[in-house]
Amino acid sequence: MTDRELERKLADAVTRAAPDDLEAILSRCGEQNGSVIEMKELKSDIIDVEAVEVKPKRKLRPWLAAACAALVLLGAGGGGLIYRQSYAVASVVSLDVNPSIELKVNRAERVISCTALNTEAAAVLFDMDGGADLKGTKVDVAVNAIVGALVREGYLDSISSAILISVEDKDQDRAQRLQAELVASVDGVLRTQAPNTSVLSQVLDANTPATEYMTFNSGLSAGKASLVHKVMEMNGTLSLNSTTAFDQLAALSVEELSDLLETGEKRIPIGKDKAAWAAQEYAGTLVLSSNVVKDVDPELDDVPPRYEVELIVSGREYEYLVDAFTGQVLSGQKDVLNTSANTPAAPDPAPTAPDPGAQTPSTQKPSTQKPAETTPSTASQDVGEEAAKRAALDNAGLSSGDVTNWKIEREWDDGRLEYELEFWCGSTEYDCTVDGHTGAVLKCGIDHHEEYGSGHHGGSGTGGTVSADVGREAAKAAALAHAGVSENQAAGMKVERDWDDGRLEYDVEFYVGRTEYGYTIDGVTGAVLEYEWDIDD
Amino acid sequence: MLTGLGVRTTEEKDRELDRLLLRVGQGDREAFARLYGLTRGAVYALALSLLRDAHEAQDVAQDVYVKVWESAPAYRSQGSPMAWLLTVARNLARSRLRQSGRQIELDEEAWNAIPAAVPDVEERQFLRGALARLGTEEREIVLLHAVTGLKHREIAQLLELPLSTVLSKYHRGLKKLRAQMKGESDR
Repeated sequence: MTDRELERKLADAVTRAAPDDLEAILSRCGEQNGSVIEMKELKSDIIDVEAVEVKPKRKLRPWLAAACAALVLLGAGGGGLIYRQSYAVASVVSLDVNPSIELKVNRAERVISCTALNTEAAAVLFDMDGGADLKGTKVDVAVNAIVGALVREGYLDSISSAILISVEDKDQDRAQRLQAELVASVDGVLRTQAPNTSVLSQVLDANTPATEYMTFNSGLSAGKASLVHKVMEMNGTLSLNSTTAFDQLAALSVEELSDLLETGEKRIPIGKDKAAWAAQEYAGTLVLSSNVVKDVDPELDDVPPRYEVELIVSGREYEYLVDAFTGQVLSGQKDVLNTSANTPAAPDPAPTAPDPGAQTPSTQKPSTQKPAETTPSTASQDVGEEAAKRAALDNAGLSSGDVTNWKIEREWDDGRLEYELEFWCGSTEYDCTVDGHTGAVLKCGIDHHEEYGSGHHGGSGTGGTVSADVGREAAKAAALAHAGVSENQAAGMKVERDWDDGRLEYDVEFYVGRTEYGYTIDGVTGAVLEYEWDIDD
Repeated sequence: MLTGLGVRTTEEKDRELDRLLLRVGQGDREAFARLYGLTRGAVYALALSLLRDAHEAQDVAQDVYVKVWESAPAYRSQGSPMAWLLTVARNLARSRLRQSGRQIELDEEAWNAIPAAVPDVEERQFLRGALARLGTEEREIVLLHAVTGLKHREIAQLLELPLSTVLSKYHRGLKKLRAQMKGESDR
């Protein structure tokens, strides 16, 4: 069965399981939020209609209180919570980092709507009911609340983060005033919370129509679209009307776009995701199931323009410099999971650059290499049993107090030192292999033994009691009978009692001449579940 | 369901969902029914993968569409309406988990609630086995890819995970499913 067929089977099953509740849902669907707003927004272009609404006092939410407090400290004023609301859109304020958020604001500078323009923004606004909580607040309070959330979510913690504040309005004087107010306010907040962040701002004329492909593009605020437009003007792709270039640039962060404008760089960088992928591919960590990417920092204004990617593998930090345009890894330790005595610890020579225009890294190699990477790793280095246990526990998300019945074996496999660790947490059995040189978890299997509870599990892996157990001898006999050989003919006999998804099994292995046999025998019935053989060359 | 299952979300489908959402925003119940028919499988799959309880997943799926109905007038095209819809579903499912103070880990009992809706016995066993066998993130990723047609990159954005993690968990998940099917056919 192919992957696609497997997916289709799963999808079919889920689809049939999904209840059809349309009628029940429709019966719950009353008046739509904002449907009245929509009408008045439409009218606002013709006549400046104002609806006045006095809302009851509501509880001040913590983030809102913090935002108000920040403004009071800045002397900008907080405003009351009984507010006068106008539904006519006067200005559109957009905030872009990677998350992009758009605020529609009325003439009284109150927020009419707050919209997340991409999924990252939806996460930022989650604690504010997707932005609904900001309706009716003063725009500076709302902007500060959003900036606070961006800081908390870690979007502004890099050394060169940038936030773009854009104000779009038909009245350019009003837009300039609002822009100045917001920049001063945000700057004041960031000075204490994220001092390395650059605040960029711009005023857009709402009378200027955007290019068609810009308005259709997903998750893009007018502010960021304008920034992309400027980069396209600079690099010549605007005259080509290149939607590809637009899409590539739109996927970049404000920091990256700003760097391109600042440096006059005409090429389009690969982006953070591809840089992280390149670093992981080079480090050989793509096989790991855990997230090893700690940070990706674009340094497009540096020489050579690059991404700095930090990976964390088994508690050790590895830094990679990735060419911003070719994706070539300029420095960093290769194959961190397979480091041996002969592996040079210094940055490996970079592969041939596919882009002839790319700068040669050898003379430009930055001096940001971390000491940890330049320490030679030798085969004689052994992280030790305790470190291997810690790595296995970290990988499983457990602490030493959670687990019992350790079984640890230190062994060499193809010249590599490995630790084989087995342990139990309640009724779950873990079986992990840890690289003895690096402490990296190479693989980890989990077996749940629900029906046998959390009782006894023998340290040798033969734990669990079951009323019907054919026993080792019967399992061995079943395998030998199936292979058609006698026990005398078989060498290297190994019989292991095991649990697989709650089922008792025996794994039986032996040799006959150069042929290796492997059997899985049902521990309850003695039936052959799986078998294979291999002729050793 | 996003049309042919297992088929990737295409721009045309996104545009259709965008158009439907626009009409829903104008109070069009027919468009709402069409939107529901196209996406209910995906929303339910995500809710199920997070909540691991058929009844709660059904409740959350209903809440998602009520919320979609209410907030559609303010919807603005993001190019990936399915991702928007699933973000709403994910937030509501997480909110429900928080409210109930319930841990993700449930016993087999909760899974047993699922099969009643699936008439075919073999399919029921497959689904129950698949859901129980996969880890939480593997389950989310495999279901999202299989049922919603979202690309791995879109899933990475939705789940706020690195693309590499999504890819590795997806492949591990499929490997487990294949092992499960092999186990079933051997029995």
